[in-house]
Amino acid sequence: MIGFVTQRQPRTATLLLGVSLTGIALLRAEEKVEAKNAETAVAFAPAQIEFFEKKVRPLLAESCLDCHTGTKSKVGLELNHREGWLAGSDYRKVIDLKEPAKSVLIRAVSHTGEKGIPSMPEKGDKLSAEAVATLTEWIAMGLPWPVEKEKPAAANDPRQHWSYRPVKPAPLPADAGHPIDHFIRKAQVAAGVVPAPRADRATLYRRLHFDLLGLPPKYEDLKRFVEDPRPDDEAYNALVDHLLASPHYGERLARLWMDIARYADTKGYEGAGRERRFIYSYTYRDWLINAFNEDLPYNQFLLYQLAAEQLVDANGPDKRHLAALGFLSLSKNGSQDEILDDRIDTTFRGTMALTVSCAKCHDHKFDPVSTKEYYSLYGIFLNSLAVDTPTIGEPKPGPEYDAYLKGLAEKQKKIDDFLSPILEKLKKEHPTLANNQGALMGKVDREDRRKLTNLEGERDKFIADSGLEPDKAIVLRDREKPINQHVFIRGNAGRPGELAPRQFLSIASENGVVKPFEKGSGRLEMAQAIVHPANPLTGRNLVNRVWMWHFGEGIVRTVDDFGIQGERPDHPELIDWLANWFVENGSSVKKLHRLILTSETWKQQSSNPKTTENMLVDAENRLLWKFKKKRLELEQMRDGMLDVSQNLDPAMFGRPVEILDPGYKNRRSVYAFIDRQNLNPTFRNFDFSNPQETTGKRQNTTIPMQALFTLNNSFVMDQAEILAKKSEANPDRIAALHRAVFARDPSESDRQLGESFIAAFGGETSAMGKRQTNTEWSYGWGDIDPGTKKVVFHPFEHWIKNVWQVGKERPLKNDPLSYLYADNNGSAHPGHTARESLIYEWRAPDDLVVAVSGEIFRSNVGKGNGVHVKVATTKDGVIYDQVLVPAKDKMAVNLAEVKIAKNECLYFIVDPHEKDSSFDSVRWNPQITDLGGHWPRWGMAESYSGPATPSSTWGAYAHALLNTNRFLFID
Amino acid sequence: MNPLSRRSFLHRTGMGMGALGLGPLLSQLNAGDRSLNPLAPGKTHFPARAKRVIHIFANGGPSQVDSFDYKPALAKYNGKEMPGESLKTERKTGTLMQSSFEFKQRGQCGIWASDLFPMVADMADDLCIINSMFANVPNHEPSLMLMNTGAERVNLVRPSMGSWITYGLGTENENLPGFVSLCPGGVPIVETQNWRSAFLPGAYQGAHIDTKNTQVAKLIPDIRNPRMTMDLQRRQLDLIQEMNHQDMAANGFDADAEARIHSLELAYKMQMEATDVFNVEREPAHVRELYGDTLHGRQMLIARRLIERGVRFVQVWHGAGQPWDSHNEIAKEHGRLAGEADRPIAALLADLKQRGLLEDTLVIWGGEFGRTPTVELPTPGANDANTKLGRDHNHHGFTMWMAGGGAKGGFQYGKTDEFGFKAVENPVHVHDLHATILHLLGFDHEKLTYRYAGRDFRLTDISGHVVKDLIA
Repeated sequence: MIGFVTQRQPRTATLLLGVSLTGIALLRAEEKVEAKNAETAVAFAPAQIEFFEKKVRPLLAESCLDCHTGTKSKVGLELNHREGWLAGSDYRKVIDLKEPAKSVLIRAVSHTGEKGIPSMPEKGDKLSAEAVATLTEWIAMGLPWPVEKEKPAAANDPRQHWSYRPVKPAPLPADAGHPIDHFIRKAQVAAGVVPAPRADRATLYRRLHFDLLGLPPKYEDLKRFVEDPRPDDEAYNALVDHLLASPHYGERLARLWMDIARYADTKGYEGAGRERRFIYSYTYRDWLINAFNEDLPYNQFLLYQLAAEQLVDANGPDKRHLAALGFLSLSKNGSQDEILDDRIDTTFRGTMALTVSCAKCHDHKFDPVSTKEYYSLYGIFLNSLAVDTPTIGEPKPGPEYDAYLKGLAEKQKKIDDFLSPILEKLKKEHPTLANNQGALMGKVDREDRRKLTNLEGERDKFIADSGLEPDKAIVLRDREKPINQHVFIRGNAGRPGELAPRQFLSIASENGVVKPFEKGSGRLEMAQAIVHPANPLTGRNLVNRVWMWHFGEGIVRTVDDFGIQGERPDHPELIDWLANWFVENGSSVKKLHRLILTSETWKQQSSNPKTTENMLVDAENRLLWKFKKKRLELEQMRDGMLDVSQNLDPAMFGRPVEILDPGYKNRRSVYAFIDRQNLNPTFRNFDFSNPQETTGKRQNTTIPMQALFTLNNSFVMDQAEILAKKSEANPDRIAALHRAVFARDPSESDRQLGESFIAAFGGETSAMGKRQTNTEWSYGWGDIDPGTKKVVFHPFEHWIKNVWQVGKERPLKNDPLSYLYADNNGSAHPGHTARESLIYEWRAPDDLVVAVSGEIFRSNVGKGNGVHVKVATTKDGVIYDQVLVPAKDKMAVNLAEVKIAKNECLYFIVDPHEKDSSFDSVRWNPQITDLGGHWPRWGMAESYSGPATPSSTWGAYAHALLNTNRFLFID
Repeated sequence: MNPLSRRSFLHRTGMGMGALGLGPLLSQLNAGDRSLNPLAPGKTHFPARAKRVIHIFANGGPSQVDSFDYKPALAKYNGKEMPGESLKTERKTGTLMQSSFEFKQRGQCGIWASDLFPMVADMADDLCIINSMFANVPNHEPSLMLMNTGAERVNLVRPSMGSWITYGLGTENENLPGFVSLCPGGVPIVETQNWRSAFLPGAYQGAHIDTKNTQVAKLIPDIRNPRMTMDLQRRQLDLIQEMNHQDMAANGFDADAEARIHSLELAYKMQMEATDVFNVEREPAHVRELYGDTLHGRQMLIARRLIERGVRFVQVWHGAGQPWDSHNEIAKEHGRLAGEADRPIAALLADLKQRGLLEDTLVIWGGEFGRTPTVELPTPGANDANTKLGRDHNHHGFTMWMAGGGAKGGFQYGKTDEFGFKAVENPVHVHDLHATILHLLGFDHEKLTYRYAGRDFRLTDISGHVVKDLIA
């Protein structure tokens, strides 16, 4: 993380408690604090203050304070207050009260030119000798400075912030009823807002289904539930249990956790030749699905994700848990520092809603996390950088696998054959390094390294493409002999400060007491500290996230920041009660769902008759006086569309697949290939999480690009057509489609709307007739009938390499149609005679008055006999007729006003003129403008498209249903 | 039936809301609510000089000493070692190499510029040339990231400048994306990260348009329905909206549902406008001739059509990869590249000026860095053994120019050393440029922030000073 400006927080005694200050420590920050404490209360004589005000203050303002004021000061040296002078810079003290002339600052402004003493001021003029003398004198006086208004210094001890205090559940009265409702009602009554009535069974069923499984309900299931004779609560509670037991539950929850884990199937940006895919990222995703389905206790769930390799036997039956380490190992690539920072950030924001990365360059500006503590954690991850990929699955033996192994051996051999002569040569050149492969590799020259990278990239691509390697976990390994990490002053690796022992954060430890970790990197001990019952953040974090997954907002709305800058909990008693209950109930996530989902608070309607009154008190619905209507997330929407058309492939697990672009698979979206570097823009358009960093809460935007997708994307229309086809056999197709899409019967009004749509859309489609393309344009050839004077039009039948033409080949041998074609920039060629004229047909979508414009170009100026250019209409025949003569290269074809009725056509005709079609290549892109101003202009080239695969009428109807808010929102 | 007369649904929804007795309260909550409509016009901190930006990105790094930074000493010392401090760049360079392009004074202002960009140079009176730009490192990836996101570490994910500006300003035309990135033939290095919105909402990400594609309907994904004509689609949309409307009447007003009803209408209109805007054939012949009938002419004309229709930030890349990276035979390579871009850029400036748009449109030209005044040497493993007469990357000093949008025309700011290697007078860091751009757009760069992961982030991170001298 880029550091924010340094701001020193005065440390209190408590803050230092438990931090082991070893003798080695030479911590500027602490020294600065001490200086501050020791020197603050000093009184000065009025004459000295006057000396300061008259001589020193103007000097400082003129020459120093531009760069040395407040938190933005260069090198952390604040010269705008006395404490700043005493404290010095981040690196050293700058004044010497005993020997003022020797002060670093005085030497700096004197431009002594000594090594390590910069000449100041950096910008602006050198101080006069007199000014330097003034400063020296002032230092000798002991820095007289008037008592200035006290800064509202950390009056509040940040340790007393709500989230850092121990979890303290308030006792529940005996008649509390459902505990969640107890707390929420209490707040509602106090504020005078009125909760909404309970939603009906059908609404609850659909809501539950999407919330727990990410999938829409089936008509029959929903009906059964609605008609269940058991009392509401009994039927409902049984339903909750039933859904929690579905394997789809794990798929839904895994995807939610994957946002936190910034899951991706690629590493991020990589140089040329390197394989970007992780190859085995999916084993982490699959592990998550299983972990949620098995309801792995949450503490165990976290321990595995942080240190599985130290908890399970790599050869035992539990080896599958190794994949959990993907939480750390699937970080985005970058420098070592960036990788470590990413892992720290994901771990602590993800599991504790704590922004420790802010403390990388300076002590956290707001929360009680010091830079030293940041580097304590840094040291843990630094000592577990090594990545390993132990096998956790079985190969699938067979000819395909054998062929794969052979192919892989070939790729590997290519690498070895390339590398071994180079290494042999280097061994001779550097005999001392002969046994040190790593060092020798460092000597390989740049060009060879590039070639080697390419060869390795080819091998890795082969492995990733084949998908035949047995499943492997991507795990971290601790360094055998841990190395010690020092603080990097201001985040700068070139400025090591004091030692930062590998240990936990004091703020999240029992009584603030920490001691150095002893085992390897300390990663397992860190994981244990994260899940320790005394850690006030971990439990609150989890219950808050699960709450958000169900209600759309957390009890604390800034779900990944419980710090001082974050929001306060809307229901502080409730979050503590839940956090405590969760731990007491075995950290079972499923039990927590059950508790939340059985509350009346969750079962409310999404609308409230008292909306107006409630809004005046609580417009943001923090008191939960109604259920928040939610737009389906990208995955819920896509999976829902597949599911309602009975087209969802229910297969679970395995390697990632393409889910939207052509060639997409019908698997659930949780199995999508996530490209970290070049994420499909459609994902982000639907507020999918940014796979570069841990995401607590997705954005919730509504933008036209989303509507363009649901209205125009082939994936959506494919599902609609399948859906329509499946309804064919049903005599009541409208009902069949409503049941499929909404799991409900259509209302009378739905039915009427549907019937009139089917009649109108079907009518218009048949009036249009069979079309060559889906635009207003068709491309073909023909003639003017000499008898009727009407146009005879034959659409081209072949679409070859984006060109419309007569046959598969062009030209056709000995055929008057031989050269006919039309392409996407308006280029075209007529046939041999007027009977084989080139024709563009444009069908009017409405009764219109239009203007025609555009130029026709002929490239072979001076050659041939020119072309005969005509425009005709269905009703009036030819209305424009001109010859583009051979001497000219172009001619404007404009018609000021043409009246045309709906479904009639305009024809743009190129006749080769006098049966001579040589040199008759033309380019003509006619433009048609609606003089009524309602329609966009139609251009032949702009609209140019291939063969029509028109929506069927029922397909268009099903497509419309998929586009309704009724489908796309959860009530 | 024409499509406009069927738009009544929008009005009806509004009425429906009123009918529920919640009209005034809810529409007030709804108005300008950027969580519902992230592209609603935003408020500036102070009156803006520029309302929109066209950033012409000469990716790869154009040479300042061959274009806008005249250094007569180069000719004098041609073939000689550069005296003084030797500066580190990406590769090994040798002696000083004079420019192959002739410099002369241009315009009323008399600024020296070469004939590399003869037509642009002749518009010197409109240019605000910064000769003292500098960045941090001589490598493409970090420098591209610095120029585009203000954070040079490639793996540090920060929103791009276009995303920040769209976040700040919203859009004046909801029928088009607020931020468009035109790049012909593919993507630059570091790829889509150059226009990503990172932690800002997806609505602010740049829409990449491959301008090499001439089929309008293929430029923006899903911009056309491939299976029905627009009149049939209107009929379908009417059904959707009628059902939405009835449901809302039955279930009560909901701001998100209302927003979606609105966005469906916007999407329908966008289909027309977005295809229209990329169709340069609509321009009169004399305008097309002004820009030239070439790829670059077309994309520069598209840029003007976009900003004219309210798009806030248009980035125009020279091409995929890093075309301006002339390590070899710079005279030939730069000559070819400038030959492609000169007329279109000059045409853009003239056209904007003629339409009165230059006044509040900020045009920026430059690369991620410049090039060395010294010649690049062939070095085994680093470059082609035949490398000759090229220049290496140079982040120590390079040139960018701005025009319009409140930038001072006919003005040259800052200086590099005698040979054009390092910025020595009034150096302008990329952060300073960003701060200045935001200032021209009406934003205090320290206050245009976004709260994410517990912190307020900004384009200029913790640096940046507005260069007041550049402002007219």
